[in-house]
Amino acid sequence: MSWIKLCKTTEVPENSLKKIWAAGGIPILVAHYKGGFRALPPVCPHMEEPLDESGIIAGCVMTCTKHLWAWDLATLELQGETEKPLKTYETKVEDGELMAFVEKELLYDFEDEDDMDDDAFFNS
Amino acid sequence: MAITLQTKTGEFKLDSDDASETLLFRGLSAGLSLPYECATGTCGTCRARVMSGDVEMAWPEAPGASRLKRDKGDILLCQSHAKGECVLRVPSDVHSGDRAAAPHRINGRLEGLKKLTSDVVDFEVALEQPVAFAAGQFMVVTAPGLTGGRAYSMVNYAPETDRIRFVVKRKPGGGFSNWLFADQAEGAGISLFGPLGTATLRPGEDGDLVCITGGSGIAGIMSILDHATKAGHFSSNKGWLYFGVRTLADGFYLKELAGLVEKSGGALQVILALSDEAAPAASHPDYPSIQLHEGFVHEVAARGVKDFCGDLNERTIGFVAGPPPMVDGAIRVLLSEAKLPPSRIRYDKFS
Repeated sequence: MSWIKLCKTTEVPENSLKKIWAAGGIPILVAHYKGGFRALPPVCPHMEEPLDESGIIAGCVMTCTKHLWAWDLATLELQGETEKPLKTYETKVEDGELMAFVEKELLYDFEDEDDMDDDAFFNS
Repeated sequence: MAITLQTKTGEFKLDSDDASETLLFRGLSAGLSLPYECATGTCGTCRARVMSGDVEMAWPEAPGASRLKRDKGDILLCQSHAKGECVLRVPSDVHSGDRAAAPHRINGRLEGLKKLTSDVVDFEVALEQPVAFAAGQFMVVTAPGLTGGRAYSMVNYAPETDRIRFVVKRKPGGGFSNWLFADQAEGAGISLFGPLGTATLRPGEDGDLVCITGGSGIAGIMSILDHATKAGHFSSNKGWLYFGVRTLADGFYLKELAGLVEKSGGALQVILALSDEAAPAASHPDYPSIQLHEGFVHEVAARGVKDFCGDLNERTIGFVAGPPPMVDGAIRVLLSEAKLPPSRIRYDKFS
């Protein structure tokens, strides 16, 4: 796939989140933080909470209110006790349209990448 | 009957053979920093994987077990007992700490049970040995003839004490609360494990306090405010308590709260939010230092915080305690209205 339209930038006010069903039926969370947009998988990488409901943006920081995992959306730095990074789609704005580069749906590996199966993890 | 815990930070062995305790409590009382939040089966934080040996989960339907991969041997440490030698994996950083200061089992006798409102009681537990705890911590309480433990926060605060106080709200079908309301609990022996929890005001910690709570969630906040008052916290910091109840008649600990407002010289404000009836006046008829507002507590707090958020100092700490929807709403208020960073918010969520 390639660059796909998500929404008009005016549809997502600053300090808000909106879940979009993009072409191909891929759910994408649009986050408008102070200074920019991010396109993300729509769930928290911690426990799969739906970030369009549980997430909140203040300034540059997006926090999942369920367990206070948080990320700086400008730098993608993990805040406080947060243990996993966000995955992001590359974005650009053209003629007031927010676009994302989508090769395939980004998923967090809640099922496959199971750290408990990783012997190295426990023998480090 | 050794239990081996493989963790991200190395391997630990539990040598105690008290099979009646859960694996979580055995690990915690050995001084290990095992991951947990509720310690009573609802949150799912204490998941682990059984690699070998026989481990039995007492409450397989626990809400916190819904995301477990049972086919891979995943369990909740707080609900599981080892039936013999076993090896478990805990996917976290775990450290070994001071065993003498670790949470442990404590027995006591229930005394001074009294009804505060139509559906709230409080009582004291006279402990066999004194316990040290931080303001805001909780204990898991078990009573004779009742299965499973309930988490209750201490209401009082003292650096070390042999008397602790709890407050319990009656819930439909709640085994422990029905037992308390049946008038046979006075004098009964009960068993506690603790202290547990990190939603605490640490000794010497400075900063304005914004507390949002509902119903019996006031327990840990009372301990925090009591501690703060005794430590002179409000001589250099401000405080706000938003306390949600349904009606004026459902308010409790108001005399104690009015006393704290008075001692703070006005630096602490207490706002009682009434969700099910209009506030009859701007302040409580019996305790004029307590303000009254109508609405759900997080909505009342959202309106209030707008007015004072500019005055909050940099070290402000937000405390939230209550049922999950209230906690989520209150955390939203603290992040978006009070502009607190997530690292300055401490919460206690119970269901």
